[in-house]
Amino acid sequence: MKNNVVNVALVGNPNTGKTSLFNQLTGLKQKVGNYPGITVDKKHGKCKISDTLTAEIVDLPGTYSINPQTLDETIVLETLLNKDNDSYPDLIIVVAEVENLKRNLLLFTQIKDLQIPTILAINMADQMNRKGIDIDVELLKQELKTEIILISSRKNIGIDNLKKELANYKNWNTEPSAKISEKIDAAYFSDLEAKFSENSLYKTWLLITQQHYCHFLTKEQNTKIDIVKKDAEKIKKYQHKETIFRYQLINDILKKTYKVDKATATDLRSKLDRILTHKIFGYVIFATILLLIFQSIFEWASFPMDLIDVVFANLSELAKDNLPPGIFTNLIAEGIIPGIGGVLIFIPQIAILFLFIAILEETGYMSRVVFLMDKIMRKFGMSGKSIIPLISGTACAIPAIMASRNISSWKERLITILVIPFTTCSARLPVYAILISLIIPSERVLGIFNLQGLTLMALYLLGFAAAISSAILLHHILKIENKSLFVIEMPNYKVPSLKNVFYEVVEKTKAFILGAGKIILALSIVLWFLASNGPLKYKNAEQFVPSLEENTTVSNEVLQKKIASYKLEHSYIGYMGKTIEPIIEPMGYDWKIGIALISSFAAREVFVGALATIYSVESEGEDVGTIKQRMAAEVNPKTGEKRFNFASGMSLLLFYAFAMQCIGTLAIVKRETKSWKWPILQLTGMSTLAYIVATITYTILK
Amino acid sequence: MQEFLVYIALGVAIGFLVKKYFFKSKKKGNCDSDCGC
Repeated sequence: MKNNVVNVALVGNPNTGKTSLFNQLTGLKQKVGNYPGITVDKKHGKCKISDTLTAEIVDLPGTYSINPQTLDETIVLETLLNKDNDSYPDLIIVVAEVENLKRNLLLFTQIKDLQIPTILAINMADQMNRKGIDIDVELLKQELKTEIILISSRKNIGIDNLKKELANYKNWNTEPSAKISEKIDAAYFSDLEAKFSENSLYKTWLLITQQHYCHFLTKEQNTKIDIVKKDAEKIKKYQHKETIFRYQLINDILKKTYKVDKATATDLRSKLDRILTHKIFGYVIFATILLLIFQSIFEWASFPMDLIDVVFANLSELAKDNLPPGIFTNLIAEGIIPGIGGVLIFIPQIAILFLFIAILEETGYMSRVVFLMDKIMRKFGMSGKSIIPLISGTACAIPAIMASRNISSWKERLITILVIPFTTCSARLPVYAILISLIIPSERVLGIFNLQGLTLMALYLLGFAAAISSAILLHHILKIENKSLFVIEMPNYKVPSLKNVFYEVVEKTKAFILGAGKIILALSIVLWFLASNGPLKYKNAEQFVPSLEENTTVSNEVLQKKIASYKLEHSYIGYMGKTIEPIIEPMGYDWKIGIALISSFAAREVFVGALATIYSVESEGEDVGTIKQRMAAEVNPKTGEKRFNFASGMSLLLFYAFAMQCIGTLAIVKRETKSWKWPILQLTGMSTLAYIVATITYTILK
Repeated sequence: MQEFLVYIALGVAIGFLVKKYFFKSKKKGNCDSDCGC
């Protein structure tokens, strides 16, 4: 210590207001900001503590712990461990933020254990009433064995008290707040203490756990440390134990000393939380937001979708008219272009869906939904954590199933894995969108809502309802012991970053288009080949169809149509479709839909592309029109009615709502459950349910 | 010539699908939305 001058280190988590406090104490004007990482190097300033004492204050970079990960965190550690450093502190002020005390206390307990005189300054204390926070400061002082001052560095509250307390630093308790050695391995740490008697035990432990060479130690000291460091596995294990133990201790202390009463809080976040997680309004708001999303998907996407559809129909025509005639030209015009068009047409709807999801995540609302839904999920045998995979399942079931890994109870995790494929993934969206536009009129309900949007929302809700009903069933059937706990940290609300939202939408849409697009393109080529080739009857169609008595008087146009239909029926794909037709007929489907159903087992969205390819081949030589026009024009030859009428359309919608049409999902379920039993159960159960529901629907509605 | 091109396209398409569903390569890192379903 210099004469009448003490070195004071300001330490704390990023964004706790250290620099503000530094400015208040020193009268300097260092840059401050409302985001982490303002201080990335140490800054010095002087402060008169009393008539006889001056403090040389060093503002250190923000750090979450003193196990450094980054360069600025290393600066903190070296300042605190190197006694020869000019800035080595005689005393330390740990700045914590009142709202995130738990996270901040991890760093505090580590600093305190260095046995350098330390005081805890709890900043932003002026916000306590607004946030409904109550701290028993006296009890907290006893538990942490430290002096505590409540301050507000921005409003200059408590700064004089802090200065008074700093003047008294020689009387502070320097006892460690957490005796880690006793909890982890008493014998190991006693041995360390004996070997490195020149240091405090925790300083020795920090030197041992550093990944980098400590330049401030002598060669002999470093060699001594290197010998202990050889048992790297044990050190790593003990480091984990240390963190767990510190958090246990902090939790126990805060349970007694720190209370948050959300009911009395008056800040904006608390007010919003009260509304958004309200037991009635919370659900009403969530339902309204969902309704808005699904309305927008249909309202905003219809124009760009029609545009893409027309562009691809014209491209097909252009290819036919301008490329040299031949089967490769046919493949391009009837197989590849309609197939790709069948997936690109859904870019607007997928992008709008991801846009809304990204905005909800960015604002912090999604965490409130998780909290809100937890109350419901528990009743159905799932964890609150299940809602995250279930919501992720609206994009794709595969990452959603992987996201269930953080559910600690095996039973809850297994149920979540098994029911996730019921949630409406983005691959179902193209199928739903085209079928809804074919069978549901674009009418207004109550003058506001679009009937097509309402139908889409109903299908999403049906997916969730099916997932929850299956969860209840599985909860009662599966005899597995169950115990779990749900903890979620609510992030602050914030205005979404346009850049983040933009990248999220672009990345997710790109992943969907590229992932599905490659499969669809490959399947379109295979399907076109199977539909454009066949055995003898196919090859003789040009001679056989005109020779039939009924065709002798028809016009050339009608005759060409009949030849194309006959060829398709007797192509390889025609035979395959005819074989399965008896099984799918009760659901209201013909063999062409059957082919699309089988193809879409690889990926659901292939359904539309497959139908587009089949109908293109059939309409050989004609103006093929858009995918929607081709599907709308398809007629059931037995009844003379439209093939995609209300009965068969609803049957198909419900089939896709319940069926397990995704090889990728089955593979990931097998990997996550390490057994074929569960994916087979999932496939059989969901397919049977889909078949029964679709058949009943068609029978009732036809 | 056109027939030859068709068979090449068909071969590539079947090869891609077989590789995708029967010989899955190990992915680096986590699965994202590009899951082919």
